[in-house]
Amino acid sequence: MTEKKIKNIFITGPISPTFISDSIAKHNTKTGIGAHSIFLGQVRRDVINEKTVGAIEYTTYQEMALEKMHEIREAIFEKYPLTCMHIYHSLGNVSAGEISLFVFTSAPHRKAAIDACEEVVERIKAELPVWGKEVFEDNSHQWKQNKTEN
Amino acid sequence: MTTRIIVFGQLTDIINSSELALDNIRDTDSVVEELNNRYPALVSAKYMIAVDKQTVTENTILKEGSTVALLPPFSGG
Repeated sequence: MTEKKIKNIFITGPISPTFISDSIAKHNTKTGIGAHSIFLGQVRRDVINEKTVGAIEYTTYQEMALEKMHEIREAIFEKYPLTCMHIYHSLGNVSAGEISLFVFTSAPHRKAAIDACEEVVERIKAELPVWGKEVFEDNSHQWKQNKTEN
Repeated sequence: MTTRIIVFGQLTDIINSSELALDNIRDTDSVVEELNNRYPALVSAKYMIAVDKQTVTENTILKEGSTVALLPPFSGG
């Protein structure tokens, strides 16, 4: 563990499109950047056994998740020539159609930005202690399962 | 010695809580044994164990003040 400050990545509720566009706009002074890559995860209105998902309710083991995210962040900066990286994940209730994950990588050139963004998304899904409860429109629920490539 | 046990995801449905305390528990195997006795549905549940935020794969001796977390498969994003 390095001495660098551990950043919080969690936001209560959905991530708003305005927050995302403001985040993009803040990079206009970083003129060494030539490429941004953005991943947005959106809650899908799945139909499972004739029941429709209305929302996902996210919970986490926050202290462990933030330490793990810090470790991932350090590894990604070590591996790719990035200018900056921003990550936000929702907690609590996010309705179908709303955004629950925002990964934003920037670099002088596109390949590093794109590859780093993809790797961060995969590592978040596999390694962060976060759980999604799919809440159906009749208020029953089931626990979400992440697929390796979905 | 009291050990704090925290559980997440689908395990909260089995235990009906996200946290409990166990007294005089020596190691992680004993945590599992005690919880399996109390909550039989836990026997077939899939999860990893973390002691003080570090995942462990072998039986681990607990220290005073240790927190043991039961982590079912992650499903963030």
